[in-house]
Amino acid sequence: MTADTVSSPIPYSDAALEFRREIRDWLARNAPEDLRGVRAVPRMPSPELKPHLDRWASTLAEAGLMCVAWPREYGGRGLSGVEVAIMNEEFDRAGVPRLTRGMGESLVGPAIITHATEEQKQRLLPPIISGEHDYCQGFSEPGAGSDLAGLRTRGVVDGTELVINGQKVWTSGYYKANMLFCLVRTDPEAPPHKGISYVLLPIERDGRSNGVEFRPITRINGAALFAETFLTDARAPLDNVIGGLNQGWRVAMTTLGSERGGSATTQHVAFERQFWRLVEKVRERGLLGDVRVREQLAWAYSRIQVIRANGLGLTAELAAGRSGGGLANGSTSKIRWSEFQRAMTEMAMDLLGPDALVTGPDYQLDEWQEEFLVTRSHTIWGGTAEVQRNIVAERALGLPKEPRPAKGVTS
Amino acid sequence: MSLEITAEQEALRETSRRFLSEATPLSRVREVMATDTVFDTELWTRMATELGALGLAVPEELGGAGLGYPEVSYLAEEAGRALAPGALLATAGLAVPALMAGNERARARLLPRIVDGAAVGAVAWLDPGADWSSTSPPTRAARDGHGWTLTGDTSPVLDGAVADVLLVLAEHPQGPTVFSVEPDQAGVTRTPLPGLDQTRGLARVELDGAAAEPVSAPGAGRAMVTTALDHANVVLASEMVGGAQACLDMSVEYAKEREQFGRPIGAFQAVKHKCAEVLVEVEGARSMTRYAAWCASHNTAELPTASAIAKATAAEAYFRAAAENVQIHGGIGFTWEHDAHLYFKRAKTSQMLFGDTGAYRRHVADLIGI
Repeated sequence: MTADTVSSPIPYSDAALEFRREIRDWLARNAPEDLRGVRAVPRMPSPELKPHLDRWASTLAEAGLMCVAWPREYGGRGLSGVEVAIMNEEFDRAGVPRLTRGMGESLVGPAIITHATEEQKQRLLPPIISGEHDYCQGFSEPGAGSDLAGLRTRGVVDGTELVINGQKVWTSGYYKANMLFCLVRTDPEAPPHKGISYVLLPIERDGRSNGVEFRPITRINGAALFAETFLTDARAPLDNVIGGLNQGWRVAMTTLGSERGGSATTQHVAFERQFWRLVEKVRERGLLGDVRVREQLAWAYSRIQVIRANGLGLTAELAAGRSGGGLANGSTSKIRWSEFQRAMTEMAMDLLGPDALVTGPDYQLDEWQEEFLVTRSHTIWGGTAEVQRNIVAERALGLPKEPRPAKGVTS
Repeated sequence: MSLEITAEQEALRETSRRFLSEATPLSRVREVMATDTVFDTELWTRMATELGALGLAVPEELGGAGLGYPEVSYLAEEAGRALAPGALLATAGLAVPALMAGNERARARLLPRIVDGAAVGAVAWLDPGADWSSTSPPTRAARDGHGWTLTGDTSPVLDGAVADVLLVLAEHPQGPTVFSVEPDQAGVTRTPLPGLDQTRGLARVELDGAAAEPVSAPGAGRAMVTTALDHANVVLASEMVGGAQACLDMSVEYAKEREQFGRPIGAFQAVKHKCAEVLVEVEGARSMTRYAAWCASHNTAELPTASAIAKATAAEAYFRAAAENVQIHGGIGFTWEHDAHLYFKRAKTSQMLFGDTGAYRRHVADLIGI
């Protein structure tokens, strides 16, 4: 598929085509040779790779290619979903990673832009773009996972500050973050959804600990990429509460609502590459003549094409100026890709046979072992597969809500 | 033209839905399915004249609307939703694309008749008892003076008993070739076959020296059938998406109103999650089908793969939706009186039609070169 032929499945505007040319030209001049072929960035980059990535991130920030979906007045480029999709396609085409500012860009920024005061926007958005503020998330708690509104971490106003005590869990990227965006209960008397505040908490203040302690949790693949977070008299300025005291639930919902982006036309690309790597492995094992194996592989390829077609259709609707995708598209897409990945990696393990039983030293996993294990988390984070089904059933199909007994929230 | 749904396409969909719900409600479908041929002549004529259903993808110079397969797909989706009896799949899905790939003479002679509703089209390529994957032509062509005759039996032929234009694959000295046969002549015997799905017409066609005219180039018959199937699968997938959506709508409506244990059954996760899963599958099948329909008009290189994937994907979605619909309705869903079984039977037989899901997976594996 080429973008500028008349038979494109997406009705690109002239402006969108011009934008594609602009990005393509810019990448032709600026794509770093040292990152050529690094399309996906490892969750924890090696010490050798990291400086290259940092340099590329700065180049992107200076060129105005970070936080591109944010409005221009706040340092973004105001790109539409279609343009973000174009950007992703062009970076992929150039073979270099499209770096972002992670959760600061995708979650915190949109929450600030939608709910914060002008002063907060001016103060808190630029450091996300520059990379000065690196955020990790403090939403889930040991007792509040899918039922997030049951969270118990307390925030008490003390003068111009909020004093926070409690425990968070599954804090991804804690090891590089210097800010925690978290939900705390500031009114224990109010109903669960109404007494919560959304606050941006510095992990250190003036070079000293701010009562935030991370205890790494080792995941099922052996890596410690997330942590338990203990908050002991941690202090945040009240000025860092977004959307007002006790108004945090709707701010958090904006955040969750923006946890997806313009990846609709590129999501399948990584799956397709993975698929063809699997085909090669299966070919090496001499199994491609087996009818059962061929059917399994064709099943996986077909599911990837469904994901692609869905993304193309959604982007076509967006490009035509409609919202597209129906009421619960985020949830249906997530169910589709996360459950596909689980099934595909389970299948890959079967197809790789005895070799897949053995790891390297120190539990060093190959691509398939790693993916087989890590993909289990995709149907848990960001709303479990079961919660996504509830969302689809209630919002898109209008089925009655689950009975939700009132829950005590005082600690 | 891109993938987005235009206002004109939306209007076509709306018009089709309104027309079909008025012209062929399920009560009417039940009357028609009690007949041998499962064909409603009046409905067929009205679909051709009022909706222009058969000429959507036919060029204007041949009497059609000069639109494309996205339009055919939207109409077929509505026909599938309504379980509209008739030969839409056989005619618009198989016969029209076959003729479009055929010689100019056959196109000019046959397509205008099909477009204005005067002729039902059907394509026959299977030996009785053979698997869908069989490649041996069911009939033999023989020279007869200036022309040709065909001899041999073929079955099952979709809407073969009501077809006015029979396109038949025959052995020919230069290789398999498609011929057209006028069915109203000595030497043509047609027997309607009672179907597991009573809403679709199937027939056995026996030819004994029947006069025939070539439609494909000599030896190009197999390719013509393949091309027809690539398009038919887009139409079939569209029908299946519409049928699946109808099942989901029925399930959701019933789950909202049926109460057990003091609340609507749709409040229980066991039921609501089924509905959510069906929606995910139907939405995926619709996206894939829409893309395949776009390929049929704009990107023919990708059409064989896209339509095969759409067919298999929509079949799985439809069967899931239809089976869960029976289950969600409980006892009433298992009765003859309730409409759930009509969709359930249509779903399974559509999945089997032209080749089951496993066969289509193997076909996709071949097409992508693994």
